[in-house]
Amino acid sequence: MKVMLRTSVIVIALMVFLGLPILFYWLGEFPRRSVLKEAISLLTLLAFSLMLSQFFMARSNLKVIQLFDLRQVQLVHKFIAYAVMTVLLLHPVLIVFPRLFEAGIGPWQAFRTMLTTFENPGILLGLAAWILLLVLTLTAIFRLRLNWALGIKYRNWRYFHGLLSVLVTAVAVLHAIKLGRHFNPSMVFFSVSVAITGAAMLFKMYLFPPTKPTVSAKQTVGSE
Amino acid sequence: MTIENISGCIGCGRCVHACPCDVIRIDKESGKAAIVYPADCQICHLCRMNCPVDAITLSPEKTIPVVVSWG
Amino acid sequence: MTTTEQQSGPTRRAFMAMGGSAAGMAALGVNAGWGQNTSVSDASAFTTATHDCDVLVIGGGMAGLFAAVKGHDAGAKIRIVSKGRLGSSGLTPFAKGFFAFDPAQEELTLDEYVAAVSRSALGTNNPVYTRQTAEHSLARVEELKAWGFFDSNLYNKSFMTPIEARGIPLHERVVVTHLLKDGERIAGAAGFRLDAEEVVIFRAKSVVLCTGAGAFKPNGFPVCDLTHDGTVMAYNIGAKVTGKEWNDGHVGRAKNPAATYDGWGDMFDRRPSLEGVGIRHDLGVDANYLAYKLGNPVEAGPGSGPGKNVAGGPFRPVEFADNGPPPGPPEAAGMGDGPPAGGGPGIGGGPPGMRGPAMGGASAGMSIHKSEGLVPINDRCESNIPGLFAAGDALGSHMCGAIYTQIGSSLAGSAVQGAVGGEAAADYARDVETPILEETELAAVEEEILAPLRRKAGYGPAWVTQTLQGIMIPNFVLYIKKESILSAALAYIEELRDHHSPMLRAADMHELRLAHETSNMIISAEMKLRASLMRKESRCSHYRLDYPDVDDENWRAWINIYKDESGDMRLEKQPFDTWPAQT
Ligand SMILES: Cc1cc2nc3c(=O)[nH]c(=O)nc-3n(C[C@H](O)[C@H](O)[C@H](O)COP(=O)(O)OP(=O)(O)OC[C@H]3O[C@@H](n4cnc5c(N)ncnc54)[C@H](O)[C@@H]3O)c2cc1C
Ligand code: SF4
Ligand code: SF4
Repeated sequence: MKVMLRTSVIVIALMVFLGLPILFYWLGEFPRRSVLKEAISLLTLLAFSLMLSQFFMARSNLKVIQLFDLRQVQLVHKFIAYAVMTVLLLHPVLIVFPRLFEAGIGPWQAFRTMLTTFENPGILLGLAAWILLLVLTLTAIFRLRLNWALGIKYRNWRYFHGLLSVLVTAVAVLHAIKLGRHFNPSMVFFSVSVAITGAAMLFKMYLFPPTKPTVSAKQTVGSE
Repeated sequence: MTIENISGCIGCGRCVHACPCDVIRIDKESGKAAIVYPADCQICHLCRMNCPVDAITLSPEKTIPVVVSWG
Repeated sequence: MTTTEQQSGPTRRAFMAMGGSAAGMAALGVNAGWGQNTSVSDASAFTTATHDCDVLVIGGGMAGLFAAVKGHDAGAKIRIVSKGRLGSSGLTPFAKGFFAFDPAQEELTLDEYVAAVSRSALGTNNPVYTRQTAEHSLARVEELKAWGFFDSNLYNKSFMTPIEARGIPLHERVVVTHLLKDGERIAGAAGFRLDAEEVVIFRAKSVVLCTGAGAFKPNGFPVCDLTHDGTVMAYNIGAKVTGKEWNDGHVGRAKNPAATYDGWGDMFDRRPSLEGVGIRHDLGVDANYLAYKLGNPVEAGPGSGPGKNVAGGPFRPVEFADNGPPPGPPEAAGMGDGPPAGGGPGIGGGPPGMRGPAMGGASAGMSIHKSEGLVPINDRCESNIPGLFAAGDALGSHMCGAIYTQIGSSLAGSAVQGAVGGEAAADYARDVETPILEETELAAVEEEILAPLRRKAGYGPAWVTQTLQGIMIPNFVLYIKKESILSAALAYIEELRDHHSPMLRAADMHELRLAHETSNMIISAEMKLRASLMRKESRCSHYRLDYPDVDDENWRAWINIYKDESGDMRLEKQPFDTWPAQT
């Protein structure tokens, strides 16, 4: 029973966070460019969507935590996080990277223009999201050392991590809505609703902490 | 149609300057490039090649206004 | 009927029928209502900005670049003004083959080179300018190399390098419409900004016109931003103009003829490269003749004379009888199926990659580069108006003659002449006082600039242009000429000149530009027809069905066009190998 449940949760997660963006990308009437550019776009879209999925692979998602082992969840969370952060932090570079192989302004010139178009709120949001994301990533990687050095309780770090994630997500979603070439109404609806749900779950946990520690005992499952 | 699509535009204005025929302008409200005078496009791709984020897609087709007797 | 504020469009067809640029907007299904360039309701709200300099360079192509740089280096205070961006307007952005005459590499001596060009050009070239380009080309290449010109397919960045280093002020997206005079000599220029409701006045001791060539906004050649503005402005103040009977014979593709990028294969993607000596007799009207006789599409090899299957047609000197596919850049190429790529832009017939049936008239309204424009009175790019110089495609230097001879020499010619003209203008400016611009004259000019905006009713420039294209572009009018048709077309053009040009209206700054461009095209069309009527022979890229032969007895001469005191268009002959008579 549990196995089936787990499998179906995984399948649903995959369908929502990978399937839907791919579907929207596929059905959307976007101009198709070179394979490299389209691959980069798709990669970025998926990274973005997987970033949103992180809210659902955390303590705040009681159902999942009950169904799986928290450690496992955390491991997956971490694994996806590192992959996603790499792609998203490289996102500005990935946009101009294909310029290396084609005529037109060079990647460096494109990069400079892009990052200095401050009149555009979308760019400012993007820059802000990038910096916040970097902080989020670094404070996650170095959480133990950081907590030790600054004498922060792990619980408090978790609050920080959660709230910063919400902030990053909000800024990133706004950035994507403003500038994302693949952000048609479906993509916008998808990301906004997923982001709101994720954030809501987090706030629910903060405001109404579950009475019992949900994951105190490792649950053994026969089929493991 | 000439410029088919401008998507992912960051409003840097490079294409406006790069276009010899003054086809594109930045829309004040959205802050993005808009195809304002497509009838004057010579489909030379300078705008596309100057766009830092590759926002512009061009089509080789062009519709030409029909001829009428009063100008 | 061009409002940029149309909120909801009628059906596409209905909207298209209204003509003008709004039509395309509806066709695109884009929401209308763009803010930037809304109708200018009150043409009196315009401001005026005045700028001073020693030498004003008009045009931001290869010629304008060098005119500014060399003028500055000769000690003059320079300003550059262009209706587009430096290195991203006019023809310059699309040219990739740069001719450099390197005496150490070439088999021909300079004298032999000039003689060979003259033979292919049937005497139509001015050997002084032919030689000048070859002589100075290598020096210009070295400078361009240092600025990074050969490193990118886009030229703005490398062009900006020397301009920024010298701090030369640059006015982009300013459309110049008038040249100003102080008595007999030049005093500056006037125009308007595309991005602001502003009239711009330049007070200058000297002006170098680097405004390039022009055409009838044809489909298939990236020349739609050029309408011989410089030539017409200069003609209006008394300058002499030459070369209007010649034709550039570029063809386009039958499929998607308007798509210049696609039509030229990967040309526009390539970085520029160098060309050595290679003299041809290309891109006249052979293919036009073939199409006239056989119908189109024409499936001829580039450069192939029509002789094989059709009798008659343009005369081709034996020495250049069978060029085969031109090895040169597309500029020197014909119909399309030369060997593409394989190396730099120097190789490839073309437009390279241009496959499938070809169609004529791609560059309709343009002559062979450098064969039309202001008449030079000496080898320093000087015109008959004191202080007014011209360089590059705006100068009728006849550098390569009335047919494409040396491949890749157009870009080089613009560079060389820009440098020569810029220096000459600086020399001239050194010795003259700052000119005086009369208030009343300025007011009149401003009035003329803004007139189309003030008209409540009139004719839309897009429509007048379309009508002009219908009159001028047909093969049997512009290319394969005869008396009756030329006269008939002239009657139509005179109607446009007298009745439509004065009634052009504009709803916004973009249309204001179109209105002025349309007026210029009408004058250009008249020049082309009158010169074509006058030259009662066939030579190089000018072909008359009723005078099919080369007539050396009467026509070893160029045709100069000028405005007489009463404002009428006059034509005169100037024998080859002479400078114009100075009055
Ligand atoms: C597709 C193509 C391929 C070519 N290939 C080659 C080649 O391989 N080799 C070669 O040698 N040549 C080639 N040529 C020709 C070459 O490009 C031109 O001869 C040369 O670039 C002309 O330079 P220019 O500076 O004289 O004029 P342009 O480059 O035409 O510059 C004209 C300038 O004047 C400005 N201007 C015009 N009117 C106004 C106005 N009213 N107010 C303000 N500014 C104005 C324009 O904005 C522009 O900046 C090619 C041309 C084309 C179109
Ligand atoms: S293709 Fe050329 S003419 Fe058309 S909008 Fe782009 S730059 Fe302008
Ligand atoms: S160059 Fe590209 S990003 Fe910049 S305004 Fe134009 S379309 Fe937008």
